[in-house]
Amino acid sequence: MMNRSIDYVKEPLSSEAVIARLEERLPDIRIQRRDRVGGRDNSVQYVDLWIQVEKGRFLQTIEELFRLDFPHFHVMSGDDVGDDVLLNYHFSLFRVSEHGKRLGVSVCVLVPKSDLHMPSLFDRIPGIEYSEREMREMLGVEFEGLPMKGFIFLPENWDENVKPWRRDKDGLNPDMMRDLS
Amino acid sequence: MSAKTYTVPIGPVHVGLKEPITAWLDLDGEKIVGARVRPGAIHRGIEMMGRERNPIQVIYLAERICGICSFSHITAFLRAVEDAAQIQVPARGQYIRSLVLELERVHSHILWAGVACYSIGFDSAFQLGMLMRERVMDVLEAYTGNRVNYGVGTVGGVRWDITPEVDAVIRDMIRYYRSEFSAFYDIVTQDPIAKARMRDVGVLSYEDAIRLCALGPTARASGVRCDLRWSAPYEAYGDLDVKPVVPQDYVGEARGDVFDRFLVRVLEVYQSLDLMEKILDGLPEGDIVFEKSVVKVLSLLKKAEGTGWGIIEAPRGDDSRVVHLTSGNENLTWWKVRAPTYANAVSWPVMFMGNELADAPLIINSIDPCISCMERMLVTNAGTGGEQIMTREQLLDLSREKTRRLMPA
Repeated sequence: MMNRSIDYVKEPLSSEAVIARLEERLPDIRIQRRDRVGGRDNSVQYVDLWIQVEKGRFLQTIEELFRLDFPHFHVMSGDDVGDDVLLNYHFSLFRVSEHGKRLGVSVCVLVPKSDLHMPSLFDRIPGIEYSEREMREMLGVEFEGLPMKGFIFLPENWDENVKPWRRDKDGLNPDMMRDLS
Repeated sequence: MSAKTYTVPIGPVHVGLKEPITAWLDLDGEKIVGARVRPGAIHRGIEMMGRERNPIQVIYLAERICGICSFSHITAFLRAVEDAAQIQVPARGQYIRSLVLELERVHSHILWAGVACYSIGFDSAFQLGMLMRERVMDVLEAYTGNRVNYGVGTVGGVRWDITPEVDAVIRDMIRYYRSEFSAFYDIVTQDPIAKARMRDVGVLSYEDAIRLCALGPTARASGVRCDLRWSAPYEAYGDLDVKPVVPQDYVGEARGDVFDRFLVRVLEVYQSLDLMEKILDGLPEGDIVFEKSVVKVLSLLKKAEGTGWGIIEAPRGDDSRVVHLTSGNENLTWWKVRAPTYANAVSWPVMFMGNELADAPLIINSIDPCISCMERMLVTNAGTGGEQIMTREQLLDLSREKTRRLMPA
């Protein structure tokens, strides 16, 4: 067997055990558990967890996920929700373990518009690069520690101050939009 | 080293392209010593368009994200909507969805195998791939009436049932591929020139596959035993006993090169044929959709409130959709589209390192990128600092020429 500096956990924890552990270590987070059913007998096939966490607890939450398994990052979704920008980080735990044991983990953070900064996870999970750059240019969140600052999806001559997914004055002006329908 | 960044003006929204991606390769002689990739984004427009449409309308929008895996895209989307609105798909609907997903996987992998052979100058195998893909497209047409965007998925199930006639054409197709597809199996197991072109080319190590969050056949070829059909079974897969296909189970080791990516896809075609047979044998009786009336579905969706996440194993890797529905708003509040190439393209620079320029088309192809637009690459010469724009055709010629040098005179 190769000596591997990085690997996935092969023996998964149950979703109950993961919830208990996270709630014990991070008393102020809220976790919603969703059983995803399917198949002929409509039984539970896998579980998704939706975790709401304060911005100040975000890094600690990610550290706790790392103690469970290397979190496989899928994508970040987000929206402008008024005074805050919502960021959802979508991960998998126990991706390489047993049948039906992969745990979907979405970590949801509200970033106040008065301080649109988040710590970058790029040094821990290099695969997050495109998503952090995407959220930076689409919603205006700065990721501290992310080395690449150039546009990834917007054209090079785009006005840096216009954030297309924002719903406030920083978003798209109606006359900037061609009819998309 | 005098790497210079150039801007290639493609996208972000361009009707002709799906995922514009540009690569900058730094060369030392023939060797690639540095690489950068810049994607554009046709689906940013699609995400904005989704905000002006209700979930039923977005199905037909999502279907047009990709031609080859259109059903994968809508299944991920539909599962996200069904998660947000807590809608249950009847068992027969789930089985039919799995069946179409496997038909699509067979189509995608055969097409990929043919195109991979083309990029190394193995034209007879390319023609064979093109010939073979016709059969699965004919079957999709027999079932849905369409060869590309099938229009068969809907919220809460599927729109068309599998009739005995459709069952028969699918079984015919399975028999056909079991005997004819062996040509591609022979390429990966017996052809010394194909092996010479693909072995140890474009390597992505096991650790890098984890760090860079690689997906699907790209990750499995690096030895990562991941497959959502197994680790997070959706639709009918929980009943079907899917095992991830990894090279170490077949050839003893996973090297994470182009050869392994070829091998994984070829073996997955056989796996899909077995799965389709199991699905047809075990197709449950009953409804194919939870509610036939679209008006009723829409009024239910208008009342729904919440965020849903749909994630499925598409032919190229896992395909994610996140959807938010707000009560009282009939349109999507927002949705996020994440196609597999979005994740796998992050691995390209690592795969390029140390390879020859002539291998670049093969490496780009090896993750099965969902792009039709790799029209040009900018090559910077590390020795002189000069630049030269290589068209896709020139690069292909280089790649094919390299194969010719390997062949006996």
